Amino acid sequence: MKKTLAILALVMLMAGGAMAQQQEEISFERKQAIDSLALEKVRDLSKYIKIVGSKETAWSEANRVIDRAEELFMSNAEIGVSSVASNKVKYFKVRPYFEHLMRLNYDRVEIEWYNIEYVSDLQRQPDGTYVGVITIFQTFRGYDKEGNLAYKDTTKKDITVYVKRKETQIGGRMVGFWDVMLGDMRVKETANK
Amino acid sequence: MLIQSHPVEMPNPALEQAIVEYSLPENSTSAELSLVNIFSEKKRNFSLNSFQQSRIIVRDFVFLSLLLQLFWIIRVIFQPTTQKDSIMKNKITTVLLVLLATFITLGGTTSCKSKKRLAKEAAEAEYKARVAEAVRDLTAILDDETTWTLEEKEHRVQTIKDWNLQNAEVDDLLFQVEKKLARERAQAEQKAEEERRAAEEAAKAKEPKNMLEKNFAGIANAASVTQANRIINETLQMFSSNSVPVLIIISQAGGFNDYDRPTTIENYLNYVKDQKANRNQVYDLKFNDAGKITEVELIKR
Repeated sequence: MKKTLAILALVMLMAGGAMAQQQEEISFERKQAIDSLALEKVRDLSKYIKIVGSKETAWSEANRVIDRAEELFMSNAEIGVSSVASNKVKYFKVRPYFEHLMRLNYDRVEIEWYNIEYVSDLQRQPDGTYVGVITIFQTFRGYDKEGNLAYKDTTKKDITVYVKRKETQIGGRMVGFWDVMLGDMRVKETANK
Repeated sequence: MLIQSHPVEMPNPALEQAIVEYSLPENSTSAELSLVNIFSEKKRNFSLNSFQQSRIIVRDFVFLSLLLQLFWIIRVIFQPTTQKDSIMKNKITTVLLVLLATFITLGGTTSCKSKKRLAKEAAEAEYKARVAEAVRDLTAILDDETTWTLEEKEHRVQTIKDWNLQNAEVDDLLFQVEKKLARERAQAEQKAEEERRAAEEAAKAKEPKNMLEKNFAGIANAASVTQANRIINETLQMFSSNSVPVLIIISQAGGFNDYDRPTTIENYLNYVKDQKANRNQVYDLKFNDAGKITEVELIKR
């Protein structure tokens, strides 16, 4: 009798788990929308880096943009900074990274991101969070007062992306949304080109 | 029977006026009164006709005056002294009355003929006047020498057409004027349609949704940060506060909306400025009683 009850309980548990799994599954179209959303956040970040890095950006504007950029990242996320002059990679929290970028000792700075794509598609984790890795290539150009190119490098970076379903109350009703958060930005390669 | 042989008993204002007018004595004979009555009736009838009939009245007037003079002469010559004289006087009077009746009858016939002729002449004159009027008005319309509106011109042309003048010149002018007015009507309708469309577009542009779309595009394409900030400040005036929530639909698959993380209108406008891209379009807006936007729903293009 006990054995029968145990088997029944196990079957019910498995069935329940399968049903829950089915409920959590999202359609291909919705998954595509989430993938695109995460890529868009990375592209947004590239624009923020460009604005903050530009010496033409007003200090107040740069600070406002840093606030927006911070919102893209998870609270403890780190951004790696490398140099062709050193093999070491220095990691900054988000705000210190941007402040460092603002203070770079160049008269003019050009930063471009390209080849932004998934190296690891978003995969659903047991807690319901989708995790993926997006790789980017960044070219950095620093010019001196005379307008000469003082420094340049190209860095390949991997950004971990987390997408989680959340809810918030708006206008007296609950609204579900997909929250894209960027994790650590790790330097993979740095080249003088 | 035009002539009455006995005194008029019924009150007749025209006769009373004639008695006063011709200074008849109170003891006038019935024949004299009858003549005056007939003449006054004729005069009244003629007075209804045109000025050209006045010559008939003058003729009758002269004749009646002569006749009355004759009566007076006869009365003076044939003072009734005897019964025989009295009979003679009455006979002469009767003969004269017959002559008078004949004259008036003939005069009446002539008068009828004159009336027809006059009517014909009047009709001809009226026709000529209308042709002249039609030619004048149609030429003025053709040469743009009127201050009439298009409707007034069309009404005038219709009136002239209704006259059915059957005049070659008028018909030719009508043909030209109708062509001209048709062109003017087409132009006026086209202009009215263009004005209606322009008004519609202006009204649409003033709708909050369209204004918002326009401002999003303006911010994204602003030539400078200053210009973008100016448009942002203008746009924020449309909202109940800078923290109005903005929801962005990223997918509608499966029959329900998937949203991006909600933001505020101020942050969203700055986001459009920073990214220099207008990636979303307005899907829905909510307003408060003051007509200010309290919630924005956008959707990915």
